[in-house]
Amino acid sequence: MSFREKTAWGMGLILILAGAWYFSKVVSVSTALGHTSPPDLRFFIGYVTLVVITSIIVNVMLAIMSGKEANAPADEREKAILDKAGHWAGYVLAVGAFGGLWHFGWLGDGNLMFHIVFGSLMLSQIAEYAFQIFLYRRGV
Amino acid sequence: MAKRPPIGNRIRELREQHGNMSQAALAEAIGVTRQTVIAIEQGRYSPSLESAFRISRVFDVGLEDAFSWLEAQDS
Repeated sequence: MSFREKTAWGMGLILILAGAWYFSKVVSVSTALGHTSPPDLRFFIGYVTLVVITSIIVNVMLAIMSGKEANAPADEREKAILDKAGHWAGYVLAVGAFGGLWHFGWLGDGNLMFHIVFGSLMLSQIAEYAFQIFLYRRGV
Repeated sequence: MAKRPPIGNRIRELREQHGNMSQAALAEAIGVTRQTVIAIEQGRYSPSLESAFRISRVFDVGLEDAFSWLEAQDS
């Protein structure tokens, strides 16, 4: 498995766990309030901090284990994979963003729109890593 | 599964003919990762024209001695 594929696995798992933590907080607060919780800066900062710190730890560990390969720039196949995965992930983000806008137009719930758009951003990042893994394994 | 490109190659055979050159050594010589050499050998990735020429030059053969068009997969 190449360094970049390992990185994609690591980042994908980190984003899934951090996203699950963030939305578990949002759901618990929403349940307590009886309506969609407003955006909470504490959860947002917590999510970003969790992602940044765990990403640094995982990437440093993978770089140490991979040695010279970690410093090498992406080759032509890897660049093609990164481009294609990023392109596909853009559709995930677009669908989520339009879903959020549609919900706002329909329900007028700005809080829900925030969570849908932010969730789409998280999902598109997870999808990008999932597409990368798929393309690394199945060919580009 | 992603559609395989209709391009065959003799890279594995050429490596064996050149003193059992490793995939890592070939990767180093043409400036790609070992995983990319594996993907090319297995037909999961078509190299760029530049990389195809680099591979041919490493083995000192013509482009069409290293790569071939697979008519059966060209559909």
